[in-house]
Parts: sequence; structure tokens; C-alpha cells
Amino acid sequence: MQALFLIGILAFSYAMVISKRMPALVRSFRYQSFFLFLLALSAAIKEGNPQVYIVAGLLFLLKVIAIPILLLRIVKKIKTGDNLGLFINSQLSLIIALVFTYFAWIFATVLAPQGVPAQHIILMVAFTVAFSGLLLMMFRMKALAQIIGLLVMENGIFLFALSVSGGMPFFVEIAVFFDVFVSVIILGVFVYRINKLFTHIDVNKLSRLKG
Amino acid sequence: MYALIVLIIPLILAGLTQIIKKPKTIGTVNCLGYSFILAVSLKLLIDVGLHKAPISLFNFFYLDALSVFFIFTISVVDLAAALYSISYIEKDLESGNITERKARVYYLLFNLFSCSMFFVPVVNNLGMLWVAIEITTLVSTFLVGFYNTKQSVEAAWKYIIICSVGIILALFGTILFSYAFSLNGGGKSLNWTDMMMAAGTFDQNVLKIAFIFILVGYGTKAGLAPMHTWLPDAHSQAIAPVSAMLSGVLLKTALYAILRFGVIVTKALGAQYFSNLMILLGVISLLVSAVFVIVQKDIKRLLAYSSIEHLGIIAIGFGLGGTLGFFGALMHIFNHAVTKSLMFFSAGNIVETYKSHNLNKIRGVFTSMPFTGLMLLVGVFALTGFPPFSIFVSEIVIIAAAFLNHNYLVGAIMLLAIVIIFSALIYHFGKVLFGNPPKGMIVKPEPLSGKLAFIMLLVFVSTGGLLIPWLFKGVIFSVIDVLRGI
Repeated sequence: MQALFLIGILAFSYAMVISKRMPALVRSFRYQSFFLFLLALSAAIKEGNPQVYIVAGLLFLLKVIAIPILLLRIVKKIKTGDNLGLFINSQLSLIIALVFTYFAWIFATVLAPQGVPAQHIILMVAFTVAFSGLLLMMFRMKALAQIIGLLVMENGIFLFALSVSGGMPFFVEIAVFFDVFVSVIILGVFVYRINKLFTHIDVNKLSRLKG
Repeated sequence: MYALIVLIIPLILAGLTQIIKKPKTIGTVNCLGYSFILAVSLKLLIDVGLHKAPISLFNFFYLDALSVFFIFTISVVDLAAALYSISYIEKDLESGNITERKARVYYLLFNLFSCSMFFVPVVNNLGMLWVAIEITTLVSTFLVGFYNTKQSVEAAWKYIIICSVGIILALFGTILFSYAFSLNGGGKSLNWTDMMMAAGTFDQNVLKIAFIFILVGYGTKAGLAPMHTWLPDAHSQAIAPVSAMLSGVLLKTALYAILRFGVIVTKALGAQYFSNLMILLGVISLLVSAVFVIVQKDIKRLLAYSSIEHLGIIAIGFGLGGTLGFFGALMHIFNHAVTKSLMFFSAGNIVETYKSHNLNKIRGVFTSMPFTGLMLLVGVFALTGFPPFSIFVSEIVIIAAAFLNHNYLVGAIMLLAIVIIFSALIYHFGKVLFGNPPKGMIVKPEPLSGKLAFIMLLVFVSTGGLLIPWLFKGVIFSVIDVLRGI
């Protein structure tokens, strides 16, 4: 069952890498977070730890419901078209993501203890997710894609934390969630401001400050 | 318990900004609050630093000599910034740049920002340390984008995005740390004190990888090159008192995080690994800033690049290690904080009067604003490491450490970069200070509260070289003991 959730997480990071429009990206992010939630839930059931249940619940509330709704509302409100503005096309992005996956595998073999293949695969998926978040941040023009990229990186790191040490200490986990949520709101505020001042949200055109 | 006053007072002051209506009154109350915090931090410096008695509260807060040293530095710069804010905000209100409501928002953010910075050195849990540093970014983003112009919003966006990526890498590094800790049965704790006690049991390979992520992640926030790209934008666009706080202490809080991890790494792996990486980043920062300082056209960007230089010097100091290296680096943290604040305040006054950041348009500051001009002159010499000012002493100590460690190449690069930056800064600011001011410029007299901030910093800049190290010798040596993992 766990394998299925992992494949879901991996598949949706590829889906995000090839999306060309904002709503598709947000939807893929929502599905990825949902699979992450299922994984956390299964970990909670396995451990029988109420704290892990709370973490999984928060993950569901924030990343599956609240943040996607917030982002979709911003997309609707700023009316600059929902094209993501790809610097490199979907196919090339996918190939880069695959190369990243290979590196993630190598990195996982360095880190994971020998002889635990399941651990290898989880680490590989976690790193691939984090890498694809970085890819979204670097190769997409729109400011909103950068927000999603950041969240995807955070998803990868959450998965990593879940797999290696059964998550971080409880109150740290809560504080991190709170932080992520607040930062998405603040980033959203700045997307509005950029849109109002520049009448676009193309990050590559923000080039007044140089040197 | 009284240690928590430094966290509570900024929160109370933040609350007061919503009750008191007049910005000037808020500013005065602010100054009183921060004077009190400075007094508390002095007491902490003596109780915790001098007497080597770390405070541990609720298994959550932990203050040792290293923490109180940073708290003291932050409170000095905060008090100066609070003093300077009164006159600065007053002038902004008069010229109609901001409304009274916005002035209150400024003071609210100012206090939240200070609170978040004080939060960094007092937490024990390395995960909470991460949260604290992330909060400093989130709050200060609004202060960078305060004027809501195209430039400042662009700077704020770059700042929050680049620092967020950095900080995510640092989170990854933090989790890797706990992974390296748990691999050999060390447990699940993220508390620094627990990790220090079990430093020998860490998995060494994972620890090495973890520290690289920490260094890149928090190094981004600390403005170490090549991750510094957000820094000149944010520092040049932020409101002037906040520029001083960003450069003077925010960068150092990120450095504090690196040091906390560095101490564990040093204890687990020996000094070599930490040392090499810090020196590498320090040297890159020095070289990058030396190149960019020469070609600057914007007065505040010039100062921002100079911050990268000084952070590089500090990193090299910590990298060299030993009593001399640590001593120099610690003193440099404090000296750079006060000197750079002095410079940013002067630059703030100049930009407000000349309505321009452009180094080619600002002429004759000495004639038009004698007080600011004098402060700028002293500041430039202090900043470039001219005797008898404080930075001279700490730079000499670090360079001496380099040569005594037989790191001749590092010492030579430092000397070269410092000379280049010295000539570039003297050249740029010489043009700004002398010559004839543009005709028809309206110059207002400088109010006393603004001058107070300068005088306070000037005292530290001129005594920081010899008197302060002598007075606080015991404290600094206890900090060095913490850094050595004793």
C-alpha cells in the first residue's frame, strides 16, 4: 500500500513538471499532497501515535485544502492569464526531472543504511520531489509557480523527515506547518502587490535592481 | 526567568503600537523599551557569559555565553535603530511619504522583527531555531517592501524567494542532522544540548553532507557569496533603520545558526572540516564583494556589498579557529554591527535629503549636512579598517591568525581584498562628502534624537577596538569555550 502512495507522489511531481497552466499545477500539487497525507496516515496507524495523526491531519487541512484554494483564488483574481510561461518546454523539463531522479537514486544509496531497499526508494522519491520543486522555481516565469515550487520542495523534505526519523519532534512539526502557511499567505500578498504595480507577474521581467 | 524579558518587551511594544496614536510617542516608548532590554542583556552578559552559568528553561530555551553575546549585539543595534527611527519616521511623515497609520505599522513590524531576532539565540531546539530564522525573513520582507514602490517590491520578492529556498535547504540539513544522530541509536531529540553530549555517536558521512546543506541554507540568509544575490537589493530598498538592522544583526543571526551546528560538527569530526568550508565561503565572499564594490553606483548597495565583505572576514575568522581566530571573529561581529549601522543611518539621512541613491548625484554632504558628513567620514574610516577604530583591531587579529596558522594564501587574499575595498570606499565616499551640493537643495536641521543614535554608535565604534575587548575579556573567552565545545 505504501508503495502505491509513493508512486502517486512521484507521478504527480512529474505531472507538475510538465504542466503548462496554473490551475493544472495547483491541482497536481493538491493530489501530491493528498498522497503524502495518505502516507503519513498509514505511518500514524502503524505507529499508533496520536501526534502523527495530528500532523497528518494538519497536512490534509493545509496542503490539500487551504493552500490550493488560496492559490486558485489568486489565479482567478489577478487576471493575467494562467499560462505558466515555460523557459524550457514540458518534454525537456521531464527529461531533466528524470536525470534528477537518477541523481536522487545515487544520493539515496549514499545516505540510506545498507540492505534496506524500501528506505532507498522512499529517499529517492523524497529527493526527486524536492528537485522538481527547485526545477519549477527556476524554469517558470510566473511568480505563482515559484510559490508552488517552494511548497513542492517542502513536500519532499516532509517525506524525507517522515521516512528517516518518523518525523521531527511534534512541536517543531507544528511550527514548521504554521510557518509554511504564513509564508504562503505573505507570498500571496506580494504576488498581488507585484501584479498591481507591474501589471504582470513575470518574475523574469523583474530586473530593475542590478549589480 | 528574567532572560525572557528580551522576548516579552518587544511583544508588549508591538501591542502598544496599536494603542498609542502618535508615532512620535510610540518612538519614545520604543526607545525606553530597548534601553531596558540593553540593560537586561548586559546583566545576562555578566551572569551567563562571565560566570559561565548557562540558563536552561522548560527544556526549550537555552542560553549560554554564545547566546548572550548575540543578544547583546542585537540589543545595541536595536536601541540605535529605535533612536534613529524617531527622527527618520518624523521626516517621512512631514514629506508625506507615509501616513500616520503606516508609521504605526512600521513600529509594529519593527518590534516583531526584533522579537524574532531575539528568539534565534535563545532556543535550544534546532528545529525551533529554523522556525525562528524563517520568522525573521517573513517579518522583514514587509520592511524591505515598506515603501511599496516597484523597486522595493521587487527587492522584497527576491528576498523572500531566495531566502525561502535557502531556508528549505537548511531544514533539510537539520533533518539530516537528526538522522545522523539517530542512525547509531542516538535518539530523536533535536535539542542542541542533547546533540552536543552525544556528538561522538554521529554517523560521520551523513553529518558531513548535513553540514553542507546547513552551510548553504543558512549561508544564503547570512549573505555569504555565492548565495548573496538577494542581499544588495534588500538592503538598498529597506527603510533606513531596518537596513542597519538587516546588515548589522540579521545576517549574524543566520551566522549564529551556522555556528551552533558548526560546534557539533567540530566536536564530532574535528576542526578541519568546519574550518575548510568556512574559509572557502569567506574567501569567495571577500573576492566577490571586492569586485562589486568598485563598480557600485548606489550608495546603499555599496554598503550592502561591504557587508558581504565583512561577513566573509567573520567566516574566515571562525574558520581559522584557535583563540585568535575566534576572538577576532567575535569582535568583528560586534564591531561590524555598530559601524555598519552608523553608515546606514548616515546613508539614510543623505538619501532623504538628496532624494537619490545615486553616488554620482550626491555631492558635498559636508557642506549641506555637517553632522551627518562628519559621522559618514568617521564611519568610512572605521569601516575600512583604519586605526584606531574597532574594525582595525579585529581585522588585524584575524589576519594575524591566518599567518600564524600558516594559511599564507588566505592571509594574502584578505589583505588584497581589504586594500581594494578600502580604496574603492574612500574613492566613492570622498566624492560624496566633498564638492559642492546641488543648487536649490532644501536642507533641514538635524534633530537631537537622530543625533543620539549616531553618538551612541560612535562611542562603540571608537572604544570597540581596545576598551570593550578589555572590559569583556572574560565573556569573550567563555564564548570561545562554547565554540570549542568545552
